[in-house]
Amino acid sequence: MKNRVLIIGIGSPFGDDRLGWVAADALRGSDVMRAAPIGSIEISILDRPGSLLPMHWRNTDCVILVDAVRSGALPGTRHRLDADELTGAGMACSSHGFGVAAAVELARALGEMPTRLMLRGIETDPSSMGMTLSPAVAAALPTFCADIAREALYLASNCPPAFASMA
Amino acid sequence: MTEPRHIPLKLPLLARVEGEGTLELRVHDGKIEDLRLRIFEPPRLFEKFLEGRDYHEVPDMVARICGICPVAYQMSAVHAIESLFGVKPTKWIRAMRRVMYCGEWIQSHSLHIHMLSAPDFLGFTGVVEMANRYPDEVRRGLKLQALGNDLIRLLGARSVHPVGACVGGFFRAPKQQEIDVLLEKLRIALPEAEDLVRWTASLEFPADEQPFTCVALRHPDEYPMNEGRLVSTQGLNIRADQFEEHFTEQQVPYSTALHCLLEGKPYLVGPLARMNLNLDRLPASVRDLVSSLGVRFPSRNMHHSIVARAIEVVIAMREAIRLLDSHEGSQAPSVDVTPRKGVGAGCTEAPRGILWHRYEIDAMGKIIRARIVPPTSQNQKRIEDDLRQSLESFGMSQREEDLRHHGERVIRNYDPCISCATHFLDLRINRRGP
Repeated sequence: MKNRVLIIGIGSPFGDDRLGWVAADALRGSDVMRAAPIGSIEISILDRPGSLLPMHWRNTDCVILVDAVRSGALPGTRHRLDADELTGAGMACSSHGFGVAAAVELARALGEMPTRLMLRGIETDPSSMGMTLSPAVAAALPTFCADIAREALYLASNCPPAFASMA
Repeated sequence: MTEPRHIPLKLPLLARVEGEGTLELRVHDGKIEDLRLRIFEPPRLFEKFLEGRDYHEVPDMVARICGICPVAYQMSAVHAIESLFGVKPTKWIRAMRRVMYCGEWIQSHSLHIHMLSAPDFLGFTGVVEMANRYPDEVRRGLKLQALGNDLIRLLGARSVHPVGACVGGFFRAPKQQEIDVLLEKLRIALPEAEDLVRWTASLEFPADEQPFTCVALRHPDEYPMNEGRLVSTQGLNIRADQFEEHFTEQQVPYSTALHCLLEGKPYLVGPLARMNLNLDRLPASVRDLVSSLGVRFPSRNMHHSIVARAIEVVIAMREAIRLLDSHEGSQAPSVDVTPRKGVGAGCTEAPRGILWHRYEIDAMGKIIRARIVPPTSQNQKRIEDDLRQSLESFGMSQREEDLRHHGERVIRNYDPCISCATHFLDLRINRRGP
């Protein structure tokens, strides 16, 4: 059995799309995470995993995906979506543009969903460029990471095992 | 007397195709009067970005053109530049480049077969719906795709836009321990890849033979990947640096992607063209498998491309095993490079077909001009011809929705990457005054 809670920072090196990586790095170094029981929380970083995303959470109880979000909200807005809210994007995906919602739908079809899966994200600034976060996203980052750390600690003690019913 | 019927048919946003494009048809009395694969993906301008850059920046920059076939862009670039500089890669560098390319073929083909193409043959709207009925096949596809990514990562440090390749070789050599882990994975997965070939060959294929010219690389004794002469089923046999004497790119008003033609005519590149032209170069270990199939090559049926792709997955896995198995430790990862002024061309076999690069470089090693001809722009005219024939055979009186599905299915056989193809902007400025 792997760690009970897996935090996956998804992104690329570019602008606000770095969010998943930056947040995962910040969480790794945070005091709250150091307080977690050894082996209860794992943090990983992925570069645009596409359809292979579900392979990274096999045999994990709870998954928190951390990714940049574009919904039309104000840049810097924090988002929290449960797995059942991540639907409707999987039917017409291309090979290059297989997003998180499509990957979750694929995992659901393959019966490879963890007990809990949620997406935590921050609304990006559409004009963000270069290799750093935009000011709006950077400003939201500390509270965003604190929220994720709190939730991960809670899930580490309270998330039911994903495959208990199959035993 | 009945009035002639003009049916304007517009299929907005092609599904399960990378990039933004539409198919527009004008139909007159059941015949297609006009057919346009209209691509409106914004131009990428990569060739302009490269101007003024140092030669050593090119591999990392061109890798950004495509997230699925970055190795192809890197390999065509390094071969083009090395041909000008007179660089002679060692046997080890040559072998490891081929291993890295094998990784790209495995991941790209596995992805296309399962995510894009197989749902067409099985009547599903996409892979998610297919996964409900064929979970084991989809899992197999994901496993092979991940294995391809692992191979790219072995030499490229990461699988998306890898950074390990350079002009002269690689920045680092992989550790023997990393190689052993991958060899084990490849050996375990090989029977599954062979099952994949048999599975694709068992699909139902529409009877749709078409005449077309195939173009691919051809190597004296290997199934082509990084090296070889450019050959066609019509007798072409040239070096990569003679490409421009025979191939021309044309701009069409309705598309941001260029149409590339061979002696003024459309042609096919990609797995089916490679197979058709290189059957006698199949590794001995793959020949029995291919001859046991119900599908025969050479084939004029574009729907057989899915089988050609699966066969190439096995070829790539066997090649990677062979090359990694004979790997000897402590190799210098690169050879010295000295810039030289002039023009260099290189052509390699991207998963989707030949990818041609040409660089004009100054004495300091700076890029003066770059030209990149990706496979999708080479296949575009062929796709239009195929659509015209396939849709008319299908029947233009069919419902618009059915015509759309049929058209998309035809297009997907080519695995087009529209984002890769749209890299050109014809900018004309009329200036007056002093």
